[in-house]
Amino acid sequence: MSTYGELRRAADAAWAPLANPPRALIKVGVATCSRAVGAEETLAAVRAEVAARGLEADVMLTGCWGLCYAEPIVEIHPPQADRQAPVLYQRVTADKVPALLDQAFTGPGVSAEYTLAVVGEQGLAGVPPLAALDFFRIQVRRLMANCGVTDPENIDHYIARGGYEGLSKALTLGPERVIKELLDSGLWGRGGAAFPTGRKWDFLRGSARKPKYMICNADEGDPGSFVNRNLMESDPHLIVEGMIIGGLATEADYGYIYIRDEYPLPVARMRRAIEQAREKGLLGKDILGSGEAGPTGGGFAFDLEVVRGAGSYVCGEETGLIASLEDRRGMPKIRPPFPAQAGVFAQPSNVNNVESYANAPLVLRHGADWWSNVGSENHKGTKMFSLSGQVQRAGVLEAPLGTKMSDVVMVAGGGPPEGRRLKAVQPGGPLSGIIPASDVDIPLEPEPFRERGMFMGSGGLVVIDDSNCILDLCIYFEWFAEDESCGRCTTCFAGTRRMLEILRRISSGRGRAADLELIRLLGEIARNANCVHGQAAPTAVMSMFRFFDDELQEHLVRRRCPAKACRGLIRYEVARQSERLPLAEEICPTRAVVHENGSYRIDQEKCVRCDACREQAPYAIAVVDEFGP
Amino acid sequence: MFSQASHNSRLAAVAPLAGSAGLSARVQELINDLRPDHADLLTALHRIQHEYGYVPPEAVPLLAGQFNTTPAIVFGTIDFYSEVRTAPPAEEVVEWCSGPACLLKGSLRIRRALEAELGCGMNEATGDGRWELRLVQCDGTCHLAPLLRHRGRYLGPLSTSEAIRFARALKGPAQAAPAPEPPGEPGT
Ligand SMILES: Cc1cc2nc3c(=O)[nH]c(=O)nc-3n(C[C@H](O)[C@H](O)[C@H](O)COP(=O)(O)O)c2cc1C
Ligand code: FES
Repeated sequence: MSTYGELRRAADAAWAPLANPPRALIKVGVATCSRAVGAEETLAAVRAEVAARGLEADVMLTGCWGLCYAEPIVEIHPPQADRQAPVLYQRVTADKVPALLDQAFTGPGVSAEYTLAVVGEQGLAGVPPLAALDFFRIQVRRLMANCGVTDPENIDHYIARGGYEGLSKALTLGPERVIKELLDSGLWGRGGAAFPTGRKWDFLRGSARKPKYMICNADEGDPGSFVNRNLMESDPHLIVEGMIIGGLATEADYGYIYIRDEYPLPVARMRRAIEQAREKGLLGKDILGSGEAGPTGGGFAFDLEVVRGAGSYVCGEETGLIASLEDRRGMPKIRPPFPAQAGVFAQPSNVNNVESYANAPLVLRHGADWWSNVGSENHKGTKMFSLSGQVQRAGVLEAPLGTKMSDVVMVAGGGPPEGRRLKAVQPGGPLSGIIPASDVDIPLEPEPFRERGMFMGSGGLVVIDDSNCILDLCIYFEWFAEDESCGRCTTCFAGTRRMLEILRRISSGRGRAADLELIRLLGEIARNANCVHGQAAPTAVMSMFRFFDDELQEHLVRRRCPAKACRGLIRYEVARQSERLPLAEEICPTRAVVHENGSYRIDQEKCVRCDACREQAPYAIAVVDEFGP
Repeated sequence: MFSQASHNSRLAAVAPLAGSAGLSARVQELINDLRPDHADLLTALHRIQHEYGYVPPEAVPLLAGQFNTTPAIVFGTIDFYSEVRTAPPAEEVVEWCSGPACLLKGSLRIRRALEAELGCGMNEATGDGRWELRLVQCDGTCHLAPLLRHRGRYLGPLSTSEAIRFARALKGPAQAAPAPEPPGEPGT
């Protein structure tokens, strides 16, 4: 069995020519976000062009920088003789590859058309360094240090950049000191409940019964959250290593990584990482030459497997996840017993989020002191966030805990599109609540959210602007909670349904004065639900009561939707005749745009308020309510 | 606004199909190496669905046998997961993202237009089994919001008009009326 030193030497040799390429090197990032805009085709086109032109260049696949808004991204390291830093190019779809290569290799050396940033300290010919981009300058990238840099399908890249060093240290430290290091770091779980990871591991370690299991919660069911996905597909070994360290610290010898069905690429990359780790002796028996495990031997054995979910939000709740692993409906149970007492197959188990596990190798590799040297006074380390909705730059980033939410939303994300105003932010999942724009400066750590009756959640920031309706959004959250309710307790499945009915009634203009009291009552009752899903289902609605009462009252009392989003409170009408109206007539899917006696009108019976006619004839068609356009 | 059927209404009755011996043999082959109490049932469902596009009713008793449980438990489990199908998909499945970024950028308007244009509700297929609209969850490709997926391809960000044109192209030239030439006035 190889020692860590031997693995590292082999890995260094494999990585060196890519870290300091002797000839040109072209890197193409392929992850779910970039694949959706054609990164695989870009990679194929780069390979084909390089071959066809006989270019002296290597081509390499990488994970994702987190710059979803600029995908597909291609990084070009010019031949070393040029002594020029590598440059990132943005939005390079396959059709643009020939032009890019022309400019980068035979033309000016840098293609001004597609440049995004220089990967290095200094800018170049007017192109800023990566760290100076608004999206990057608020970031501290530790978990994401390899994202976009290495090939996620190559274990050597991970090892050469310090990977599995933490495990090697953990083996010399032994379980007790590994847990102490984790406790000292202050790491708490990133999956939503913010429970100290070291303490959780200590509980499992204290459980005498065997076998014990390590479970990685990669269900990431919060719509609008994609931080776990980004890490799994860009640096899968970080999670594998974290779980092995967890197994070592708690004497668990098997692990499950439960990945949601919507994430096929993370499933593939995690599986591949596990195979490679096994080949290198990092999984299986006698890990890193530690000797035979068992009653006589002091060695360490651990293995891992990926289980793919099948579409259920409550399977992200730890007891629901365990039920799903047990071949049953993924229905959450009342705790206790906690997983450390009786988890999967009624054996002691530990459930952590992807990002929690991913931090463990960093704590071990660099020590608790280093790890906790960023963050706020009470919360150490970094957190990954995903940005989506009404922002100019959607993507994934990493920042110290305690970073102002406005730095992420307004600086990195660039705020809402030109001409629109920030209205609110959903901090982390449909159960987390809605933070109003006036509070956008709060630090990203649990307390400010708790004080407002909300949760920070798992890091999926969804940005809402003044073109959006808060009631409409609350209806979505409540629908989601109702649709995903496991059905075990009436409080949850009937409570969410009732809440949804009332909200829809208000949004259709048939709200009653008594509805607000009913909603409050339902919000109170929900606290008695079996699990956090039902308990937290009214969070968004309660934030609407507290921070967006005006908007709610407008719907209820004046029967008007200020954002003109609630379909029951608006009409489409022909305000002026225009020569574009035939286009409106043609596009209408219900033939509601009627041409009669030389003029156009809209048949309100047929209109489904889909907005297509207004897209075609924006000056002719107006969205109106009782109070006019 | 959302008319998705509840979990339970997605069930089809278990009726053993005539002449399905070949199917049963194949299903059994697919799941032969899987064991109870090893977190294998989801793997079994994925394998079967990968092969047939859905989990046929004949598979239920076989799964119960393999996993040492009852058909009722297996059926209940299948029914619980929204990505496990109990009926074959239509020829063309249009996936509509229900997520928040898509919602904020107008996905409900696209949904209403598609339901009208394709003539089927969400999570329903047309009577002739040619088109189906399917509600899917956000997979974090929100930079393309609002989006549709079709045969693994992402379409977005989409205006309602673009979504309608996509649906018309899908239906084929017979159903789609030719678009009139746009006059000079600026569009959206
Ligand atoms: C409805 C619901 C959904 C959840 N979904 C997730 C999820 O997708 N991923 C996750 O890590 N935790 C999720 N959680 C939290 C888990 O129950 C659990 O607290 C977490 O996995 C523990 O890991 P951590 O200590 O590393 O945070 C969810 C909780 C609830 C109530
Ligand atoms: S909300 Fe549709 S992809 Fe995220």
